Amino acid sequence: MRLTRRSFVSLSLGSLGLSATGRASRLLLPQGVATHAVNAQPKSAPSGRPFNAHFTDIAAAAGLTAPIIYGNPTNNDYIIEATGCGCAFFDYDNDGWMDIFVLSGTRLEGAPEGATNRLYKNNRDGTFADVTEKAGLHDVGWACGVCVGDYNNDGNEDLFITYYGQNKLYRNNGDGTFTNVTKEAGLLGDTTRWGAGCTFVDYNRDGHLDLFVSNYLQFDVKRVPKPGENVNCTWKGIPVECGPRGLPRGVHSLYRNNGNGTFTDVSVAAGIVSHRGSYGMTVVAADLDEDGWPDIYVACDSTPSLLFMNNHDGTFREEGVVRGVALSEDGQEQAGMGIGVGDYDLDGHIDLFKTHFAEDTNGLYHNDGKANFEDVTRIAKIGVETRFICWGAGIVDLDNDGHPDIFYVSGSVYPSLEKRLPQYPNKNPRTLFRNLGNGTFEELITEAGPAIAETHSSRGCAFGDFDNDGDLDILIVNLNEPPSLLRNDIKGTHHWLKLKLIGTKSNRSAIGARAVIHYGKKVQVQEVLSQSSYYSVNDSRLHFGLGPEKTADISIRWPSGLKEELKAVVADQLIVVKEASGIIPSQGFVEGVTQKRSIR
Amino acid sequence: MTQRLNLALALVLMVLLCSAARSQAPPDAPIPSARLEPITSALHAQRFDQAVQLAAEAVKDFPRDPYLWALRGVALASAGNFKDGLSSFQQALKISPNYIMALRGAAEIEFQVGGSGAASLLDRLLRLRPDDTVAHAMAGVLRYRQGDCRGAARHFEKSGAILDSQPAALHAFAICLTRLKQVDRAVEVFHRIVSANPENQQERRLLAAIQLIAHKPKEAVATLGPMIGDGVPNAETLELASSAFEESGDTPSAVSSLRKAILLDPTNVNLYLDFAHISYLHQSHQVGIDVVSEGIAQLPSSASLYLARGVLHVQLADYEKAEADFEKAHEVDPNQSLSVAAQGMAAVQANDLDRALETIQAKLASKPNDAYLLYLQADILSQRGAAPGTPEFQTAMRSARRAVALQPTLGEARGVLAKLALLSGQNQEAIEHCRKALEINPKDQTALYRLIQVLQKTGSKREIPNLLKRLASLREQAATEERDRSRYKLIEGDDSSAPAKP
Repeated sequence: MRLTRRSFVSLSLGSLGLSATGRASRLLLPQGVATHAVNAQPKSAPSGRPFNAHFTDIAAAAGLTAPIIYGNPTNNDYIIEATGCGCAFFDYDNDGWMDIFVLSGTRLEGAPEGATNRLYKNNRDGTFADVTEKAGLHDVGWACGVCVGDYNNDGNEDLFITYYGQNKLYRNNGDGTFTNVTKEAGLLGDTTRWGAGCTFVDYNRDGHLDLFVSNYLQFDVKRVPKPGENVNCTWKGIPVECGPRGLPRGVHSLYRNNGNGTFTDVSVAAGIVSHRGSYGMTVVAADLDEDGWPDIYVACDSTPSLLFMNNHDGTFREEGVVRGVALSEDGQEQAGMGIGVGDYDLDGHIDLFKTHFAEDTNGLYHNDGKANFEDVTRIAKIGVETRFICWGAGIVDLDNDGHPDIFYVSGSVYPSLEKRLPQYPNKNPRTLFRNLGNGTFEELITEAGPAIAETHSSRGCAFGDFDNDGDLDILIVNLNEPPSLLRNDIKGTHHWLKLKLIGTKSNRSAIGARAVIHYGKKVQVQEVLSQSSYYSVNDSRLHFGLGPEKTADISIRWPSGLKEELKAVVADQLIVVKEASGIIPSQGFVEGVTQKRSIR
Repeated sequence: MTQRLNLALALVLMVLLCSAARSQAPPDAPIPSARLEPITSALHAQRFDQAVQLAAEAVKDFPRDPYLWALRGVALASAGNFKDGLSSFQQALKISPNYIMALRGAAEIEFQVGGSGAASLLDRLLRLRPDDTVAHAMAGVLRYRQGDCRGAARHFEKSGAILDSQPAALHAFAICLTRLKQVDRAVEVFHRIVSANPENQQERRLLAAIQLIAHKPKEAVATLGPMIGDGVPNAETLELASSAFEESGDTPSAVSSLRKAILLDPTNVNLYLDFAHISYLHQSHQVGIDVVSEGIAQLPSSASLYLARGVLHVQLADYEKAEADFEKAHEVDPNQSLSVAAQGMAAVQANDLDRALETIQAKLASKPNDAYLLYLQADILSQRGAAPGTPEFQTAMRSARRAVALQPTLGEARGVLAKLALLSGQNQEAIEHCRKALEINPKDQTALYRLIQVLQKTGSKREIPNLLKRLASLREQAATEERDRSRYKLIEGDDSSAPAKP
C-alpha cells in the first residue's frame, strides 16, 4: 500500500502554511522558548489624528544615572543574565510624591562597583536623590520582581523583592528607612529558588495583605547546559543561553498573612502547588470575574499562563486554558512575560494585555465580565508588531483622551545575536499603541516624542505621575544602562482625575479596591494593583483620562465589600478617599472643588 | 476463484455424503439408494462426466426431487459446465426454494462467474444458515467489491478460519479494516496473511505499512527485517523500512535505508520527497535541498521536487530561491495549484500578507474551486484581522465554507471556519467544525482548544474537563515528539547525509 507522496508536499506546505498563518510549531524557531510564531498583520493607514502626549527621557537630568547591572551586556551564557528585573513608582515617605525604586542584578564573575537596587527620593522639582544607603535598601544579587503593599497596615508601603536565591521582605519603618524582616516574617526559604513575579493580595479578605510569588525555573549554574549544547540552547541555529525549555519548571507559592507580621505558606492548602510547574513570570491580582474576590493571573513563559480563580474559601482553581488566557488563539503556548491591566474598550470590565517573544504578537484579551476572555489581538490591530521580545506593559491613558492606550518596552535576550543576525538587534524602541476609541489601536513611533523611538534593551516599566502634573509618566528598566524616565508633557485640553484610596477595614494600601468611573457616556474600571507590567509596580493612584468631560461619577468597591459612590467629582485633581470616610485632604496636589458622596 | 469454488464444492460434497442435505429435501417419493449411490460415488471419485449422466437419468425418473437436481448441478459445475449447473440448482430451488444445497451451489456459481444473482442467493442462504462461514466469506467479498467495507467486515468476521485459505478474501478483509480505521484489527488480519504466506514480500510490505498506520513502527521494522537482513531488498521495501525506522526513532537507519533506495531507484520521485521530509523534520534543510537537487538532476520535469526544494528554501528564509523553485514547479505543471499556494505561504512567512493574498487570489481567478487555495484565502484574511461584519470577513467566511464543501476532509479549512464562526458568534457552527476537524486529525490541538473555548462560551461545560485533559496530553505528546525529532540532525560528510546528534 503506497502512501501518497502528495502527503509530504501538502504536509510540508501545511506545516509551512500553518506556521506562516500562525499556528503550530515552526521549525524555524528551534530555541528554548515556545515555538509559537505568527506573522504580523498589515498596518492600516494612519488615522492622522494628533496624539497629545509627548515623552522625553529626562532620567539623566533627574539624577537617575546609575546603570542597572544585569549580566554580561554583550553576551549571555546563562538565562539568569537575560530576564532582567522590574521597578516601582511608590511613595515610600508618604509625602504625596512618587519615589522611584529600581532593581538591579549582578554579573556571573561578580558584582561590579555600583551594582545594587536603588531607591530614589523625589525632590519634587523634577529631580531625585539616591537614598538607597540611608534607607537600608542596598543589596546586590539577581533581583527580579518587586511588589509593594502595606503588609502590616501601619500606613507605610513595604517592599517585597524576588530574587534568584532568596526573596526579601523589607518593612518600611516610616522614617525613611527599611528593615529586612524576611526571616521574622517566616518568608526565609530553605532552598535556592528563582523568585519571579509577586503580588500582595488579600485573597481571604481578612483585611491583611497576603503574598503570592511565582517562580521561574530551577536553576543551578553548575548543571545548566552551555550555549549550543542542545536544541534548547540554540536559536535560528545559533548557540544561545539555554532555556527556559529543557530546564525544570518553577512551582509557585502563596503565603497567608497571619496578621501579626508573619506569614504562613499555604501553597498546598490553597491548591497552588497541586498545579504542575510552569515558568512563572509577572503576577497580577484582580477580581476578574467581578464576584468580589481577587483572582490571580500569572504570565508564564513557554508554558500555559495560569489563572487562579478564587473559590472564596481559601483555595483556588486554575482555569487559564478554559477561560482563554493561557494559550494563543490557536491553542499554542507562548512566551508570556509582562501583563498590562486596564479597561481598553470602556465596558467596565478589566481586560488583560500580555507581552510575548519576537515573531509572535502580544496578546490583548477582552474580558466579558465573568473572566471569560477572548483574544482580540488581531481585531484590535495589535498584531501589526511582532519584531521584538516584549516585557513591561500597561493599558494606560497616556494622552488623557478617556481611552486607555497600550505601551510596552522590549529588548533582546540574546545580546550577541545582532552581530550575526542584524535583523534582531539587542536594543529596541518602545512601542505605543494609541486607542482609536473603536476597539482598535494604531502604532505610534515618532508622533509621541523622541523617547519612544530610542532604543534600549528594556525589561520592567512602571507608570506614574512623578511630577504630579496630571498625566502618566513612564519609568523603564534598561539593562546595563541607567533607567529611562519618560516625562509626559501633554498638550491640549483633555481632563483627568486621580484617585488615591486608603483602606481602613480593608488593607491599608487598598490593594484590590475597584473604582468604576462614569464620565460622559463612558465607563472605565481600574483596580489598585500590587504588581503588573513586568515585575513592576505602578503609581497606586488610579489615573483616569476623561477626555472633554469635566466631571465624573465614581463607584468604589473596597476589598471589605463596602461600596461608596462619589457624584460629580470635578476633574483635574487628585482625590484621596478613605474607606468609609469619603474624600479626605490630599498631599502634593491642589485640593479639589466640592463634590457629593454617598455611602452604601 | 477456482480454488474458492472447488473448496465450496468440496464442502457440498461433504454435505452430500452426509444425509442431512438429503433429509432437507421433501421428495414426492423416496429415491432408492441404488439410484443415488452411483452418482455420489462418481462425484467422490471425480468422475464428473459419469456423475452428470447418472444424475440426468435420475432426474428424468424423479423430476420433482430437488436433491437430484442439486446433485446434477454439482456434477455439471464440477465438469466445468457452470451454465447448466446453475440451471440445475435453480430448478431445485423452484421445487424447494429454501433448499440449502441448491442455494449454496447456485450462489457459488454466480459468485464464480460474477453473476448478479450471487448477493441475493447468499442473503437467502444466510437467513437460513446464519453461521455459514463459506457464505459469509463470499458475501464479504461481494460487499468489498461494491465498496461497502462496513458490510464486508461484518461478513468476514463471521467467516472464521476459512479465510486463512482464501488469501484474496483475507486481503480484502484487512483492507476494509484499514479503511474503517480499525488498524489494530487490520494488523492482526495481515499477520494471518503473512503467516500463511511468509515468502510473499508484497504481503509483508502491506503488513508493515499497516503497522505504521497503527503507529507500531518497531513491529513494522521486525516485519520487514527478513526482507532487509537476508535478502536483496528492493527500493520499495527500503522506502517503507525508512519510514518505519524514522518513526521508531532510529533516524540513522532511516536515512541509510533511504539512501540505498535512491541508489537502487534514482528516478523515483517519492524517494527524494521522503528524504526532503526527513531533512525537514530534523531541521537539516540544506542537506535536504542538496539531495532533492540530485533528484531534480535526474527528474528535471518533476513539479513535486521543485516544490519540495522550495519549501526547504523557505525554512532557511531563502525566499528568492524558494520563489524560483515555486515558479519552476508552476512552469513544469501549470495545472497544479500547490506551487501558487506555496508562493502565497512563502509570502506570508516573509511577513507580507498583502502579497500573499494577491498571489492566492490571482490563482483563484482561474481555479475558483481549488479547496486549498480557498482555505488559504480564508486564513490569510483572518490573519489580517478581518473583523466580523466587514466585507473581508464575509469573504473569508465564504471561502472557508466553500473549501470545506469542496473537500470535507481538509482539516485546516475546518479549523479556519471554526475560528471565523466563533468570532462571529455562530457557536454551533464553530462546534460542528471543531469536532469534524478532530475526526480528521485527533491530534489537532487548535481544534481541540477552540472547541473548549466555544463550549465554555455556550455554557455547555460537561465535556470540558475531559477535553482539557486531552489537550494537556496532546501537548505533552507533541513536546516528546519534538524532543525525539531533535535528537538527530543530518549532516553532510564522508558518509553523506549521515545523521548525527546535535
